[in-house]
Amino acid sequence: MLSAIIGTRIRQRRRELGLTQAELARRVEISAPYLNLIEWNKRRIAGGLLKRVADALGLTMADLDDISERHLLETLHEISLAPVFKDLGTERDRISELIGRFPGWAKMLASVSKSERDANARVASLSDRLSNDPFLNETVHRMLTRIASIRSASEILRDFPDLSDVRRDRFNAIIHEETIALSEIGEALAVYLDRSEDTDQAVTPIDEVEALFNARQNRFEEIEDATKALSELLTESQPLSRRANAEALCEDRLGTFIEDFVNEQSEIETAAARKRAVRMLRDYAIGAVILPMEEFEDAAKRMFFDIESLAEKFSAEVEIVCHRLTALAPSPETPKFGYMCSNAAGSIIEILGIDGLNVPRYAAACPLWVLYRAQQSPETVIRQRTVFPSGARFVFVARARHIGPIGFGKPRHYVTDMIAISEEDAPLTVYAPDRDVLIEEVGPSCRTCPRFTCAHRVEDPLIE
Amino acid sequence: MSIRVLLAEDEPHIVESLTFLLERAGYHVDVETDGRSALQSALDNVPHVLVLDVMLPELDGYEVLRRIRADDRTKSLPTLMLTAKGQREDRETAMDIGADMFITKPFANAEIVDAINQLASEQKS
Repeated sequence: MLSAIIGTRIRQRRRELGLTQAELARRVEISAPYLNLIEWNKRRIAGGLLKRVADALGLTMADLDDISERHLLETLHEISLAPVFKDLGTERDRISELIGRFPGWAKMLASVSKSERDANARVASLSDRLSNDPFLNETVHRMLTRIASIRSASEILRDFPDLSDVRRDRFNAIIHEETIALSEIGEALAVYLDRSEDTDQAVTPIDEVEALFNARQNRFEEIEDATKALSELLTESQPLSRRANAEALCEDRLGTFIEDFVNEQSEIETAAARKRAVRMLRDYAIGAVILPMEEFEDAAKRMFFDIESLAEKFSAEVEIVCHRLTALAPSPETPKFGYMCSNAAGSIIEILGIDGLNVPRYAAACPLWVLYRAQQSPETVIRQRTVFPSGARFVFVARARHIGPIGFGKPRHYVTDMIAISEEDAPLTVYAPDRDVLIEEVGPSCRTCPRFTCAHRVEDPLIE
Repeated sequence: MSIRVLLAEDEPHIVESLTFLLERAGYHVDVETDGRSALQSALDNVPHVLVLDVMLPELDGYEVLRRIRADDRTKSLPTLMLTAKGQREDRETAMDIGADMFITKPFANAEIVDAINQLASEQKS
């Protein structure tokens, strides 16, 4: 196979020079029939004879035995074997002739085939994403459930004319409530599908809320102002009591304020995103009550942003401290913090972004992130110095915390909080790595990572 | 004595409609809205027919059915499973672990009542 192109090339070049087979055979000191076998790719040619033939034809050996052409030959051979082409009667024994005589067409054929294969792979990957997209799956489930309620109630109204007025009103109310819920789901789905075409824009409720937090740099002055007076009402010293009291205060005093605030935000378009934004801003307010900004900022600088020391000082949970760090206004003494939280399945369940760090939405992030390692040693802070394929460097600080009820025999579930600081800012913190600390090569996620030889790759990149 | 149906379903409006329909059809309906309570209720006071949603909090419908089939008291309890997914693998999973019937949401009321009538009559016979 490998010499197949060489024979064709020799024949083509000999004809260009106007030489007969006998003349060329004489010049390279072989018989004409033997040259004929070589030219028709029936005999291999290499070594000294190949050199003599190349010289006689005024070519280099590489002109006759081009590695890229060998590769092209193998590619076209492989294409010709594809099941889809098997009935076309492709002249598989004349591929070398095609390459030798029409190299441009041969390359074009290989290129078109590669495009088709890549496009198929991309379609398969996107189709996989569509069928495994948690947002779409959840939405379809919710839609079918709502439709089931509406259908059942409406059939009752149709099939039982003897219903009492009370019953009739009740089933009408069910239909009304369910149609509103269905409208909200449809609205969220429409926005999701509309925006799927533009990857720069928010496409899920999580994205909408993240867009709001990004626009505000994770800091909401309105809520900071509204919570100032509430902080003074917190007198408990135990973290859980403080949190419970802060939650009650926020619910009681700020519930409507936060809902109204969310309704005014242009980034929040769907009902699902509104609910999520209200929940996250309520958590923001709880954090602001427990850790009032002025006092927190001062302590954070003095303690070099040590999340555990700050949690201890303010009798707060580490999670709340991490949230509050992201709300700090960056200054020469204060880094910009990003935050993310993942569950045990590796899904990122909350993101407060930081410039330059792209967090994947539709696939797990890079498995090498300390975010996924922290659950091996719960309640312990682990630092990781990272470099991304773009060259961006971040210091990650992760800590897994227990959630849910505890007790003997009950399963323990953990989520991991992780803050991200650019390496440039890290010296402002207690997490500043020494020069000799290992820099770990990580990526965003396999689908968008160009580290092709990474041993931890689990799927091919979507776009090469 | 009327035939008792245990309805394990967490969607309140579906519970309301199905309860109304089944009571009109002459059944006594008990309702549980999470998997753990449904399992406990079925074991404590075995119903004549179990209507079991797949997506339940605490324990999902599949797990409830597995445990029901593993208990002598309920191993042959006629069970109709409901799901909003309706994919073939859901149906196969339900049948593999011992569901007698399987209906996908959204369903027609008559479909549910007919299925329960059939399960109840098989039990009587």
